[in-house]
Amino acid sequence: MDHRMKTISHGWTVTAYIFLIIFTLITVLPVLWMLYSSFKPMGEIMMHPLRLPSAPTLANYRKAFEYGNLVVSFLNSVFYSGISTVSTVLLALGAGFALTKFGYKSSKVYFGFFTLGLLITVNSVITPLFIMETSTGLYNTRLGVVLPYIAFGLPMAILLSTSYIRGIPDALIEAAVIDGADYVQIFWKIILIVSTPVMATMAILTFLGNWNEFLMVFTLTSGDNMRSLPVSINSFAGRLNEDYGLQFAALVVGTVPMFILYLVAHESVIKGFGEGALKE
Amino acid sequence: MPRLNKRASYLTLLLPAFIIYIGIIIFPILVSFGLSFTEWKRFKMTGFNGLDNYISILTDPVFQRSLWNNVQIMLISVLGQIPLGIILAYLLHRKWVRGTKFFEFMIFLPVTISSVVIALLWNRVFSPVGIYTTFVRMITHNPDYVVKIFESEKFAMIPVLLVLLWQYTSLYMVIFLANLQRIPSSVFEAALIDGAKESTIIWKIVLPALSTVIFTCSVLAISGSLKSFDLVYAMTAGGPVNYTYVMALYLYQHTFTFHNYGKGSAVSIIIVLLSVGLISLVRGIYDKAQKKFE
Repeated sequence: MDHRMKTISHGWTVTAYIFLIIFTLITVLPVLWMLYSSFKPMGEIMMHPLRLPSAPTLANYRKAFEYGNLVVSFLNSVFYSGISTVSTVLLALGAGFALTKFGYKSSKVYFGFFTLGLLITVNSVITPLFIMETSTGLYNTRLGVVLPYIAFGLPMAILLSTSYIRGIPDALIEAAVIDGADYVQIFWKIILIVSTPVMATMAILTFLGNWNEFLMVFTLTSGDNMRSLPVSINSFAGRLNEDYGLQFAALVVGTVPMFILYLVAHESVIKGFGEGALKE
Repeated sequence: MPRLNKRASYLTLLLPAFIIYIGIIIFPILVSFGLSFTEWKRFKMTGFNGLDNYISILTDPVFQRSLWNNVQIMLISVLGQIPLGIILAYLLHRKWVRGTKFFEFMIFLPVTISSVVIALLWNRVFSPVGIYTTFVRMITHNPDYVVKIFESEKFAMIPVLLVLLWQYTSLYMVIFLANLQRIPSSVFEAALIDGAKESTIIWKIVLPALSTVIFTCSVLAISGSLKSFDLVYAMTAGGPVNYTYVMALYLYQHTFTFHNYGKGSAVSIIIVLLSVGLISLVRGIYDKAQKKFE
């Protein structure tokens, strides 16, 4: 019996290794290839597509930064994703507190409205949103990008915040009320502090979503100085670009910021995604 | 006074989020609905035209092809990404291999990369100087091999579908792994001591335990596949001809290229209705399956 079980699990170990190694290679090889090709001149990429660079050069990066509008786009991406993530998280925690700890009957209706948003995608509102922004002067402004980012981040964030805050003991809040604290103080001094774990999950999911977002910046802005990284990379290194080295360099620039974040915080990122869909 | 204070605090905390949400998501959906019955010529609304927009969209072969392509994306998401995600999660969860954290880290990487970068990278992978092409040339000893599937009227979507599989499978892997970890390990141990086969464990323990999250993931996959835009836009822009058109591209073209906001809005509404319909369908299947298990 024991022996049989050992051989069985041995078989599974081999299967598991083969499957996982193949999957890992398929995932990582294209990314690695992109990385080292970005240090090769165009001619070498054409002649020896797979070889490591014989004389690594930064020329592609120099050109990409010179013509690709990458610095401005990077800063825009930081601005759009940063501001909207902070706002989404704060607003969602505020709403989550209001919806779970105040005991008003209207809470259910509000909550229902917010969860409805989980089913609504950007392309179902993009036409009227475009018309609204062009007629109110929000078109091609940073506020005109940040506001929709916040709105689309809210449903998931509120789902997460309500289920977390519901679990905070009422006694904690009642004690503060007896001590004479008002609700806004309770929000800043208790709810925010106690909610740090869920805040991290919300922030990661929101930030990553915003950082990689394409359609809204693409359609709601027009100036080069308003573009985010994905949009600039698409117009600079898109399908029509024939300089492969330059294209690879731009793609690497688009990948690196998130990769660094992933490298530093991969445990929380993976946990965030794993748990994001749990909360139902 | 305290009562007033409470009500005021409630609204202070709730309303900012609610107003932004209503103003940017709910209100435009209603506007979209209204606009979908209007006719536009040269940037101007010329009046109501009833269901004309819907009829002209639904009878347009380009839209029909887009719809079919979205269906293909949905199928690869629900029947490809989710089962593969479950398999990967299970292999990692059973601790048959060392370095599970390493595998998890590597396989999850694509989820952090933007669709635009992924699309352009894979275009290069399949290009004449790409790794895929070079690799095939090496095995087949055919130095002139090039990837032709992109031009195929029937199969042009296949590269896009493969890339989607590459991009999102690990997202489901991570979700399923988190849920597998909530099954008490004593359950597995007890089954193994009883001499249960691996297949029994999967069918009797794992899948029932994951059923709710499989449902959630299917909803996620369906609504995600109906909205897909970035990857297709950057990878093929719907071409060649319109072989890889998807509904969101069709919408984009009508709103932003032709400035026919009526038709663009009608496409939006069709996408919303499809999404709600399909999710209700999945919900129904799920409820039936639940009853069977009990």
